[in-house]
Amino acid sequence: MDSTSQNTYHDTVVIRLIQFSVFWAVAAMLAGVWLSAELVWPTIDFGQSWLSFGRLRPLHTNGIVFGFGVSALMATAFYSVQRTSHTPLFLPKLAWFICYAWQVLVLLGGLSLLAGYTTAKEYAELEWPFDIAITILWVCFALVFFGTIANRKIKPIYISNWFYGALIIVIAMLHIVNNLAIPVSLGKSYSLYAGAQDALVQWWYGHNAVGFLLTGGFLGMLYYFLPKHAERPIWSYRLSIVAFWAFVYSYIWAGPHHLHYNSIPEWVQSLGMAMSIILLAPSWATMINGIMTVSTAWEKLRTDPALKFIVLSLAFYGLATFEGPMMSIRSVNVVSHFTDWTIGHVHSGALGWNAMITYGTFYFMVPRLVGRELYSTRLANIHFWLALAGTMLYIMAMWAAGVSQGLLWLSVDQIGELSFSFKDIMASMTPYYLLRLVAGIIFLSGTVLMGYNLLMTLKGQHAVKVNVPAVDPAYGVTA
Amino acid sequence: MSSDIHSGLLFRSLYEPSAAFKELASAEVEVPSVFFKFSLWLVLLPPIFSLIGAANFGWRIGAEEPLMLDDQSLVLVSVGYFLVLIFGLFSTALISSWMASTYGASASLGKHLALITIVGAPLAIASIAHLFPDVLINVLVLIPTMIWSMYLLYKGIPVVLDTPPERGMLMASSLVGWLLVAAVSLLGISMGLWTAGVGPLLGV
Repeated sequence: MDSTSQNTYHDTVVIRLIQFSVFWAVAAMLAGVWLSAELVWPTIDFGQSWLSFGRLRPLHTNGIVFGFGVSALMATAFYSVQRTSHTPLFLPKLAWFICYAWQVLVLLGGLSLLAGYTTAKEYAELEWPFDIAITILWVCFALVFFGTIANRKIKPIYISNWFYGALIIVIAMLHIVNNLAIPVSLGKSYSLYAGAQDALVQWWYGHNAVGFLLTGGFLGMLYYFLPKHAERPIWSYRLSIVAFWAFVYSYIWAGPHHLHYNSIPEWVQSLGMAMSIILLAPSWATMINGIMTVSTAWEKLRTDPALKFIVLSLAFYGLATFEGPMMSIRSVNVVSHFTDWTIGHVHSGALGWNAMITYGTFYFMVPRLVGRELYSTRLANIHFWLALAGTMLYIMAMWAAGVSQGLLWLSVDQIGELSFSFKDIMASMTPYYLLRLVAGIIFLSGTVLMGYNLLMTLKGQHAVKVNVPAVDPAYGVTA
Repeated sequence: MSSDIHSGLLFRSLYEPSAAFKELASAEVEVPSVFFKFSLWLVLLPPIFSLIGAANFGWRIGAEEPLMLDDQSLVLVSVGYFLVLIFGLFSTALISSWMASTYGASASLGKHLALITIVGAPLAIASIAHLFPDVLINVLVLIPTMIWSMYLLYKGIPVVLDTPPERGMLMASSLVGWLLVAAVSLLGISMGLWTAGVGPLLGV
């Protein structure tokens, strides 16, 4: 464990969180690959309930979001908040506690899902004891993060910290409100909300988990690590601030687009749709800011394999944040809803944006954290092409499958009866699911390569001690 | 410097792309000559193939029975397909030449149009798969072709537009971003039109 000296950054905890994050990425993506194989060969659950689609699927999503995603966000938040505040982490022992306790929580939570304990709320499947544990750990995370900012030696609070801060505050709010429930036993609770109200609260949570965790949190990562990679300041700092407030304001309204043509008032659906379309503006403002920052630093691509991941992640961020508002339009949604197009959309974000920017960031951080070159640039380059090919194949397969499904189950004959049965439609999807399985294997193998590459880079190394630099008096807190 | 591009350039770009890109780089190209010599004919291929395929066999989208469209819908869809491709071609060329100054690339619109035509050529030719209007066959043929087209885009930009490979990579990625958005817009617009009653009959 690194010393508690006031003059060096606490980076060992960052390394540990990165290791856990990579572990969960491999484990949860493996679950995803298995799930996609089950859609092709349904009998490979071998009659075991814990291997069934219904139990493995939340393990996949929770493993990616809470295991891979949150561990990566904690690692990058701890790394960047120290450097942008010119002060070591506040309560470093608490940071270590969060680091390990979070992994225990994801592990036990995952096992409880396999055992069949679930609230049946998407992305909030964990039962109430885990929800309370998440809340406590999240408050600890907030203490370390905001405590470090409060201790800062530099007056301005850099934009990445605004995004990480929004992540912490809004996720706390969403998690607590959506998981309010009446427990009836240790493993079962009932939501405090009923019927359509429950659905609205759930999708207010569900969509903003995507918004503030998978978008906002990762934008924090982008705003710190992209300028670092490029060795350039962000193209327009003012645009980043405008985009932040516009993003925070408009995202929170967009949830009802998950409930189009459902039993919620039509005006609520229209409001959700309108706010989803407005959301395109702040999303693309950030994309343009990122692309313009990197466009002047093209020489770095010669020496930095990680920058390619970030460049491409911006392209997929642009796609996903355009596709989302478009799919929220009701006349598009009537075809796309309940089809694999939605799954493709989620993965263009999760693989193309979240995973790629995290990979780029890890390739950047790990060599710097231990003070040595990356074990293999060649492996990182191979990983880049595997990640790109896997993502493209995944999206294309799901577009074709989704549009076919949407068309088929809306087709009616002359007397208005459905032309095709659900069972027949699903049976005809096998070839696309096979393509998606191949895509998943390609993407997973890239992630495994990265795990090996980072492991070899870290092997036998310790975190480099980085002293807190002196603050320019013009920007000091007392200035 | 030659004054115009050779008419065999497009053909060569299919089997010898690097040499074709070099030839294009040293040529002076005008938009009308590129469009009428190359682009227009390529852009005509997919709608013609899909019109013939869909009229004779109907689209197989996974169900037992193929989806047969009436003649009026077929013509409407095919003309729409052609117009969308023309829009895609010109908008991509315009966006590409608009981006050129950011990436230190040549800004001649003719060259951008020629480059986008060469990049899209394999896809236009592979659209022969539309003669067999089965979604899966088309996906299996067009995805590898699309990967080849992406390779041509990354390979072609630095050579044709005379910019360092690293800057070319950034520009190509920006264009890929635009093309992905354009592709998904096309999906969205199609859905909107279907819902409004153009094309297949949906129960909405």
